[in-house]
Amino acid sequence: MRLSVAAAISHGRVHRRLGLGPRSRLDLLRNLVTALVRHERIEAPWARADEMRGYAERLIEYAKLGDTNERAMRMANFWLTEKDLIHKLFKVLAPRFQPHPGSYTRMLQIPNRNGIDRAKMAVIELKGNPFPPLIRPNRNTEKTLLNQLLKGYREDMQQAAAP
Amino acid sequence: ALAVVFSPLPRLRGLLQRCWGRLERGLLPGFSGGQSPPWGPALAVQAPAFLPQPVNDTCESNGAPSLLDSIFWMAAPKSRRTIEVNRCRRRNPHKLIKVKRNIDVCPECGNLKQKHVLCGYCYAKVKAETRLIRLEIRKKEGGPFNAPTVETVILYDGEKPTEKDEGKRIIERPRKRPSWFVQN
Repeated sequence: MRLSVAAAISHGRVHRRLGLGPRSRLDLLRNLVTALVRHERIEAPWARADEMRGYAERLIEYAKLGDTNERAMRMANFWLTEKDLIHKLFKVLAPRFQPHPGSYTRMLQIPNRNGIDRAKMAVIELKGNPFPPLIRPNRNTEKTLLNQLLKGYREDMQQAAAP
Repeated sequence: ALAVVFSPLPRLRGLLQRCWGRLERGLLPGFSGGQSPPWGPALAVQAPAFLPQPVNDTCESNGAPSLLDSIFWMAAPKSRRTIEVNRCRRRNPHKLIKVKRNIDVCPECGNLKQKHVLCGYCYAKVKAETRLIRLEIRKKEGGPFNAPTVETVILYDGEKPTEKDEGKRIIERPRKRPSWFVQN
């Protein structure tokens, strides 16, 4: 049983508190989702982009259910404040992501913002967007353990086969 | 120490009040009423220069002492902190700036970057190009709220739309295709 409620300590709490309150947080995320659907690549503070990512992916999953679905249309109506984007969502994004089972967005960290707050920023984009690709670091270099082991194995095979 | 300070205080207070009364009455006609004089009763002990107003006996033991009475109880350092103690506090690891060991060289442009962050130079390059593309899109769309219901494809100088770009909206950019933007 909890003998004391430590209200000021937040160890282990996972839910973020953005904006002025729960309604304000939803408005913030809604604006970000609308911007993402319109521009397909946006820069935002990392925490907001992280929160928004889940909502955006669920919205696309709802859109995949189809135009005629009542729940999908109500979701799109709530989350997209600019109503011409509802057409874009159902006619462009849903067919684009139909073959993919999940993970329709990509989020990468950028150097900190130039203003006085030096906030941690992220760029979040929908996969398959028409813009030039972000130059991402390659994780499969020659120096990784797996690649070094494979290289050694390949050389062993060649030495066994050659003589 | 506090008790020693207290015992002469009522007598001192009485004496000073009598002197003050004499001053106010006639010896210094220039200052009348409640105006502040050029000099005030100065005390050698650590106490406020102006004594609190003569309170009645009934209010002697009031509940919460006001700030003027409680100045005697403020926290103050007892002795000088030696340089050794100061050095221990100032050079404690938690106060020093941590050394970053996650800085690498970007393989594309050669600038420095953190391992888990995108390269600033390469990102600025891509951002400038997307900004120009968005200007072209704005010119094509005309007004606000005209998001198209078809996909978009970007073509540079001397490029023709392939059969994959059948029903898509075409955005032209009047320059050579940059090397890092590979056409799909």
